[in-house]
Amino acid sequence: MNVFPPMENERLFVPFLDEVDGTLCLPASATAADIHSQVRAHRLRFPLLLDEAKPLREQIAAATHAPASCRFGPYCDNILGMNWRLPSGRIARIGERVVKTTTGYDWLRFLLHSGSRFGEPVDYVLRLRPDCGFTAIAVFDGSPNALQACVSKLLHSGWMHWWDAVDFITEGGISSVRVTIHCVPEEAPIFAQQLDHVATATSTQLTLQNHAPTAPDGLPDLVLKTTPDRVMSLAIELAPEVVRSIGLYYNGVLHLHLSPGEDRAERIHALAQKVAPELHALGGDWHSHWLPSIPPNLTESAWIQTLEEAIHSTIAFASLQLPAARVP
Amino acid sequence: MISPVKSSLEHQLKALLPRGRVLISAAQLAGYGADGLGYKNHLPDAVVIPADAEELAGFMCGAKALGVPVVMRGAGTSLSGGPVAAQGGVVVHTSALKKILEINTEGFWCEVECGVGLNDLDAALKPYGVFYPPDPSSGPVCTLGGNVASNAGGAHCFRYGVTSNYVLGVEAVMLDGSVHCFGGPAGGRGSWREDWKRFMIGSEGTLAAFTRFWLRLLPLPEKVWTFRATYPDLKTTEAAIHALVAHSSYPAAIEMLDPRGVAMVESSQMACGLPGGSFMLLVEIDGPEALVNARVEAVAEILRHAGSQDVMFSDQDEIRKKLWKARKASGGLLGQLSPSYVVQDAVIPKRALAEVLQLVYDEADAAGIRAVNVFHAGDGNLHPNFLFDSRVPGELEKVELISKRLMQRVIEVGGTLSGEHGIGNDKSAYMPLVFGPDSMRLQLAVPAAFNPAHQMNPLKVFDNRHFIA
Repeated sequence: MNVFPPMENERLFVPFLDEVDGTLCLPASATAADIHSQVRAHRLRFPLLLDEAKPLREQIAAATHAPASCRFGPYCDNILGMNWRLPSGRIARIGERVVKTTTGYDWLRFLLHSGSRFGEPVDYVLRLRPDCGFTAIAVFDGSPNALQACVSKLLHSGWMHWWDAVDFITEGGISSVRVTIHCVPEEAPIFAQQLDHVATATSTQLTLQNHAPTAPDGLPDLVLKTTPDRVMSLAIELAPEVVRSIGLYYNGVLHLHLSPGEDRAERIHALAQKVAPELHALGGDWHSHWLPSIPPNLTESAWIQTLEEAIHSTIAFASLQLPAARVP
Repeated sequence: MISPVKSSLEHQLKALLPRGRVLISAAQLAGYGADGLGYKNHLPDAVVIPADAEELAGFMCGAKALGVPVVMRGAGTSLSGGPVAAQGGVVVHTSALKKILEINTEGFWCEVECGVGLNDLDAALKPYGVFYPPDPSSGPVCTLGGNVASNAGGAHCFRYGVTSNYVLGVEAVMLDGSVHCFGGPAGGRGSWREDWKRFMIGSEGTLAAFTRFWLRLLPLPEKVWTFRATYPDLKTTEAAIHALVAHSSYPAAIEMLDPRGVAMVESSQMACGLPGGSFMLLVEIDGPEALVNARVEAVAEILRHAGSQDVMFSDQDEIRKKLWKARKASGGLLGQLSPSYVVQDAVIPKRALAEVLQLVYDEADAAGIRAVNVFHAGDGNLHPNFLFDSRVPGELEKVELISKRLMQRVIEVGGTLSGEHGIGNDKSAYMPLVFGPDSMRLQLAVPAAFNPAHQMNPLKVFDNRHFIA
């Protein structure tokens, strides 16, 4: 029984801000400033930003996670929907504007980090979070063993849910643990007390900067996906070959920043080849926006071909027009 | 008397499953005709219970040659008609694949077979101080295979998210018997170019058989406060929900029972002293003790400020369990009120909650059908339950008409058909409301890639998915 006829047009998203649901639809070319300007007055925020200036599209093409993924999950858990331009030029709606869906196959998560292989994003629907008004950055310094104990203490307790980010940073041969706190001002002393407790218990030195501006780390040159327990050792192992690495510990993600230079792509490739066997054995992967994606294996080539036939299809339809603006 | 055709099928199945079980008699098959939806019954031609993952892969290798549909089934608690043999064929019951293979607390992951029960996993994780957050009400019975296949959610998804937020990897067996790991403990793509597990999760058994999963874990919260507040009408309840979802305490759960749901609970053994005639919110906050204790009064004030004269809260486990037992048992209680019921699973933007709920009451009342709403208010995930008697001519048609009007409105306000139950064969007729010509083509390309003949779970998700042998 098919009670509804097929639709003639896509139900495309039109830009909106729904401050009740905490959702925002805006162009994929939007920057952090564009997001802030729309949501700040409603005491909302989109915490997964890697760069202040780069378009959201580039940020999502560069990485699957941002530091605040520790608390809020990867981009694919925080981008609910997209208008997606197919290679034919037509635009399809992918995903929803509500936070939960199991309606059909999950093209949203499949396409989100697929580069430009199947088309490109036009608009995103972002899931926003309450802006609680107070941000602080805590930095723990100490020996590698002490930092390992520090991370373990931060993450293996109920507090883990409440740190915006727990990052293992290596730069210039020095390692530290950076914790981002976002809360209402009244709760700041409770967080500070817990951070003090962690520093004392793990013999690390704590520096706490209240009302810290959140300065994104910029787009990583190479992203490695592994298990959380491998992040620190991998970061230390690769430290001599990078300028800076940011380990998003709970997410098992390592963002590597290399020095610029004409041979950067070659160096990234060499690093990726070095760690790929270990990553793949764990079901992990690597990705760099400087390099083309890896070629498909034989098995997936057939699946990709079927998908591409649907994606490239140019069945003629009446001219696609965006529906009239809808007030949410 | 078993027909010659069935006898031949039995013979072939027994050859494919030398160690597992093959069920073929009518009495054996009777329990596999329906899922939690209940009223749509489709008896399979046979049920097989593979002894282990290896035997399941062997079965899949020979399944194509059987020339009949193959339907995967865990505990059969689906509420969308998913794991039933709508076009006949063989149901593959995964009850023997119930090993918890590894719990890795340093890496925050575990590896489990598809037949592991959800609450069994929770019990196994608890001593390690970690948990797996999705918590559908069927937790005591349902399996992780079913959870992954339907992208299950639950009461605490408002903060913690649904199954797809926690699946790091899927081991899948295709119809040619090939076994593939999509992801793994690290939760990436593995050596694949594309992230294929994204299509597997929530695919409702239409693409492949799943044998094991790698799941992400979280540390257990140390302290929980549970709130109960009652409201006189929909508008004030909606105001409380809007204020809670924007609050810095990030409640883990915001659940709602309407007056009919409250009355149902109070007239049962689950009665917990809820005032009659009111809309009830059940709210939970959790976290480290120092932090969560500091938030209690603020949450209570939100509930009062929205118009509740009756806000109660407690950190006592006994009270919490009683309230949640009442909430989670409500689906079962519906069965005591009516021989059949349909539960919808639409998700809507929360500013439309009161309006769409009123539509449910108006439509149901006008048709003489009882409607009870017990749902995940924080997510805007409605569960209107329509009670009817499928033996009474015309009753099912009335419910289908109400559902049709409801779904049309849900899509108009920007919502979607299903948040956590899946589409199955219960909501497939509404899919053209959601997908336009291009997105529909993309949708249909997925089964075309993995299961082009639609031998896996035909007539599900999209009702034009017929298997032609």
